[in-house]
Amino acid sequence: MPKRLLHFFLFWACLAGSAGSGAVSVKPQEVLDLHYGEVLFHFYQNDYFTAITHLLAAQQRNQLPHHRQEAELLLAGLELSYGMLDQAQARFERLLDQDTDRELRNRVWYYITRIAYQRGRHHQAIETLKKIEKPRDKNMRAELALLNANLHMETGQNEEAARILKQASVPERWEDYLRINRGIALLRAGKVREGQAILDKLGDQRADSEELRALRDRANLGLGYELLRKGDGEQARKYLNRVRLQGPFMQAALLGAGWADTERGDYEQALTPWLALMKLSGHDAPVQEVHLAVPYAFSKIGDNQRAKYFYKQALDFYDREQQYLADAIQAARSGALVSLLSQTDNDAGISGGWLNAHPTLENVPSGRYLVDILSGHPFQETLKDYRDLDYLEQLLHNWLKNISLYHDMVEARRLAYEQRAPRVRQRLGQQEAAALRQRWQHFQDLVQEEHQNGDPLHLATSKEKQQWKTLQDIQEKLTSLPGEPRYRKIQERARWLQGTLYWQIQSDYRVRLRKAEKQIRELDTLTGEALARHRQVSTALADVKAGFDGFDTRIAALRQRILALLPGIDMARRDAGEHLQKLALKELETRRQRLSSYRLQARYALARSYDQVSQQPGTSGDGVQQ
Amino acid sequence: MKALLRGILTGLLVWPLLLAAETAAPPEKGISDDVQTLKQQVLELNRDLFLLEEELLFPSNTQVSVFISLNVGEFFKLDSVTLKIDGKEVVDYLYTKRELDALARGGVQRLYIGNLRTGDHELVAFFVGKGPHDRDYKRGTTMTINKGLGPKYVELKIVDQTSNFQPGFEVREW
Repeated sequence: MPKRLLHFFLFWACLAGSAGSGAVSVKPQEVLDLHYGEVLFHFYQNDYFTAITHLLAAQQRNQLPHHRQEAELLLAGLELSYGMLDQAQARFERLLDQDTDRELRNRVWYYITRIAYQRGRHHQAIETLKKIEKPRDKNMRAELALLNANLHMETGQNEEAARILKQASVPERWEDYLRINRGIALLRAGKVREGQAILDKLGDQRADSEELRALRDRANLGLGYELLRKGDGEQARKYLNRVRLQGPFMQAALLGAGWADTERGDYEQALTPWLALMKLSGHDAPVQEVHLAVPYAFSKIGDNQRAKYFYKQALDFYDREQQYLADAIQAARSGALVSLLSQTDNDAGISGGWLNAHPTLENVPSGRYLVDILSGHPFQETLKDYRDLDYLEQLLHNWLKNISLYHDMVEARRLAYEQRAPRVRQRLGQQEAAALRQRWQHFQDLVQEEHQNGDPLHLATSKEKQQWKTLQDIQEKLTSLPGEPRYRKIQERARWLQGTLYWQIQSDYRVRLRKAEKQIRELDTLTGEALARHRQVSTALADVKAGFDGFDTRIAALRQRILALLPGIDMARRDAGEHLQKLALKELETRRQRLSSYRLQARYALARSYDQVSQQPGTSGDGVQQ
Repeated sequence: MKALLRGILTGLLVWPLLLAAETAAPPEKGISDDVQTLKQQVLELNRDLFLLEEELLFPSNTQVSVFISLNVGEFFKLDSVTLKIDGKEVVDYLYTKRELDALARGGVQRLYIGNLRTGDHELVAFFVGKGPHDRDYKRGTTMTINKGLGPKYVELKIVDQTSNFQPGFEVREW
């Protein structure tokens, strides 16, 4: 494979992988075929559908003689970017062999593995992962280890994931990422002590990047909750305290911190993080839960009045949330959610594609309840499918309209042809070009003959010929007259003039002959072209009808193909929409059930509070009612 | 009341979300397979429709395409291009940042496709943008193209001239 192919492909790979660490700055590729450059123009704008279409068209027309191999590689890359994983994989398998640069092969298979992983195709990802040979690039090695570990965790092989991460030899800046993931893998494998040992060390270190800080928060939170589940409130609080208050895991950390305090029996202390959490106007699970936890803590410290107050507040809060959720469920069921999601594209004008940014949740009702599910791979991948199908459906509907216009256009041309053809045929029948060619041939013969047996008088001008004839006539007349001296003098004069004229013609003869030859040559080209045009028009006239019929056949066939594809696209789009709806409804339903459970517990606890108050000495039944 | 605490703790979604953030259920494979196949079929169909459209609207005997490319572009930042053929304005194109970026990376834009009779035609292009020292810059270039029987491709090239630190505008017939 040529060096520039590798160069280009790495460029592609860097473009495609936003998370790729091996960003390489490369100069623009030299374009030797205009149509290849045109494909790149669309590709660089992430307009994959148009780029693939133009590339396929250019290949069909053989317009990429200098970029044949690159075009195939580019096509595979475009297919990958456009979510055609299987086609891209098959093409890469054909194109990449042992002669291909190893780093290039590795990067290609890495991206295929990553996309397969995102799509939930774990077996395919595991298979393509095996094609990656030990990369020389250490960053690549780190990315690979993480991907490999994630794949193993997906398939429940947490210990193996931890082993992979432990054995990976990576640059220093990657070490923390790998350790945190290893700690999580160990926790998931049930090896809490080992996981704790790793995460404990990491959780206290300074982090250089926001990504790393968030990951560290996640590790501390995970460890804190795991210890909480095991009843170790003291240790749990230690790790939960490490979670940043301005990070994405703050709410869960505050909630957990409170529970850690209650685990130790310190209900008063638990109120500090919980009341702080309750002030937040979030709709996430921790905020919902804390509405129940706060009165619970008050009841535990014997402050039943406050407990009742907060239980009532919790009931109001849950009622409001239940109403919002009911609206959100209604919106999801009616299909409005999916419809809105399909429109929230911040990259308008682009013909789909899998590497575009995720859609935003602005203006999406119930979006606040769906943040988790919407940001997950299954939802995102299906949403991309849904949008791509929507685009394809609109495209085909447009083609259906256009193809009717093209049919009318062909009909109009056919009509014009039928009106003009007889006149053209008539003129062709006159064989004007052939007659011209015949005349040229005649002059050609004359000039040839002149060349061989030159007679200067043959090339005399009309005027000279006229003068020659006049002098000839004068002499003939004078011959018939009596031989008087004055006649002889005139005769000699005429002969002298004729001689002079001949001398003039002869002295100019060579020039005239060359000029005549030049003109004949020019006429050769012109009459030849006239003949060729005559033949072209004759052929075209005969072909035009076949051309119309050809267009008719193509248009009819293409229309059939459009009509045959539309139902399938519509069905797939509906399936994708229903799948999205199902995922959203499942999430909303889970939230609704959880809220119902919270509400029930709040009611039960409130009733118990009233009961306890009524049982206290000196409390009247009216007080309970209040 | 310990039961309530346990109940609440089991109701927590935080823990499973935390450790299984990357482990959500995969999408239905059937949909994804169908979509891939459909995309493949639509792409092939779109290619055939694209070819038909071009053959119908711009037959090769009359087809003329004008492309534009950028070589580095350090001395000139393109804003717009106006193209005239035989004195008639056929394109007035304003560029987006994304398009300029694609041109800078080596992409070639098909600025114009149309029909012309065989013979000589005058092509004039005006390039408007920012020149050296961020000054407004407008330059025109003219050439006569000869349209033969097959399709005609013309490339307008904006190049950096390091000899005088000025942009250069070249026209190339393919």
